[in-house]
Parts: sequence; structure tokens; C-alpha cells
Amino acid sequence: MKNRIRVFRAMHDLTQDQLASKLKVTRQTILAIEKGKYDPSLELAFKIARFFNVPVEEIFIFEGEG
Amino acid sequence: MSNLLTNTTMKRNTFFLVAGILAVIEVIVLWLSIEMNNPLPIQISILLGILVVYLARRSVTEVIQDERTTLISQKAAMHTLEIFWVIFTLVSISSVIYAFNRPFPIRPHFPPPPAELPIGGVFGFFGFFQLALLCLMIFLYVGFRMYYARKYGEFDTDEE
Repeated sequence: MKNRIRVFRAMHDLTQDQLASKLKVTRQTILAIEKGKYDPSLELAFKIARFFNVPVEEIFIFEGEG
Repeated sequence: MSNLLTNTTMKRNTFFLVAGILAVIEVIVLWLSIEMNNPLPIQISILLGILVVYLARRSVTEVIQDERTTLISQKAAMHTLEIFWVIFTLVSISSVIYAFNRPFPIRPHFPPPPAELPIGGVFGFFGFFQLALLCLMIFLYVGFRMYYARKYGEFDTDEE
């Protein structure tokens, strides 16, 4: 699963640390999601989308089979 | 102690420092318990240690646990148990074989016949082996934890 968190973070001029504290997760989790090493839970994905005030599919791009 | 920990706040690194100091204290108390030939000090010390870590954790102001760290802990614990229970069962079943290969202790012999005397040595061996297994469990958990922590980006750095 790809995501555009880094882009949205840059648009809102936020550091990973700032975004992490807003979402109540660790900075390493934001970094891991950005690097594609960790896929967030649905709850966290929706939290991120709600934080940036966009639909979840605008941030997360599912690249499944077919 | 409880008030001290719950009314104060601490940083994440301070918490890890407290946990490290506690681990050293536990090892010292274990050694003392062996010297005193009394398991009570280490049993009480472990319970107190868990309580202190719990209270200290509540006073940490930064986020130290989230869904990713929970996933890492879960996977490490699951794989540790998967390996541990197989080895532990193999060892424990041996002690059961030795124990049941003797007259069942409903009416214990007094004085015990000479053939029953060496059992202490056998169970002493199992005691050491179980201690070794506990150490193995810790190493397994740390190993798996490091593996999954690396897999899920715990040690990654970023330019930001």
C-alpha cells in the first residue's frame, strides 16, 4: 500500500514528530508508514485522513492484485 | 513510592533508565536469594518490580506504545512461545517420565529404599535446565523483537 502522508505533511508544514503527537503515535510509526514498512490500521488511516481533512483514499493507495 | 511515581512525569528515556536499573536490582536480589537459600526475596522483588514499572509507565508523558509497537510485541511473543513450548514440553515430559517410573507417593516408604535416593540429583538437573530455558526465552524474545522492530522500521532514520 502506497501513501502520500509525506506530501500532505509537507503541505501542512508539519514534522513527523508534530504529526505523531497529534495522532498519539510514535514518530517511528509515522516514519514506518511513510516508508511503506508498516500499513496502519483502518482506525489510524481514518484518523490521518480526518486530520488532513481529506478522504482516506486520497492518502492511501491500495495496489492489490488485479 | 506509588505517589512519587504517579504524581511525577518522566520522559521516555528516563523510563527506560528506570527499567534498566530495576533489572540490575532484580539480578542482585536473585543472587542474594540463592545465597540465603530463600526464594521469597526474589518473588517479592519481581512483584514489586512489575508494580514500579507499571506506575512508571503511567507517568511517561511521551507516547511510548502504539499499534505498531504492540504488533511488534505480539509477533515477538507469539514466535517466542511457539519455540519455547515445544522445548519446554520435551524437557518437562522427561521429568514426568522419571517421576512416574517410581512408586506413586500415596504411601511413601519410610525410610526410603536406596533405589529412590538419586531422584534429587535428577530433579536438580531439571531445575538447572528449566532455568536455562527461561534464559533462552528471554534471548528468543529479544531476538524476535529486534527482528520485527527492524522489519517495521524501528531503527530507521529519516532526513526529515
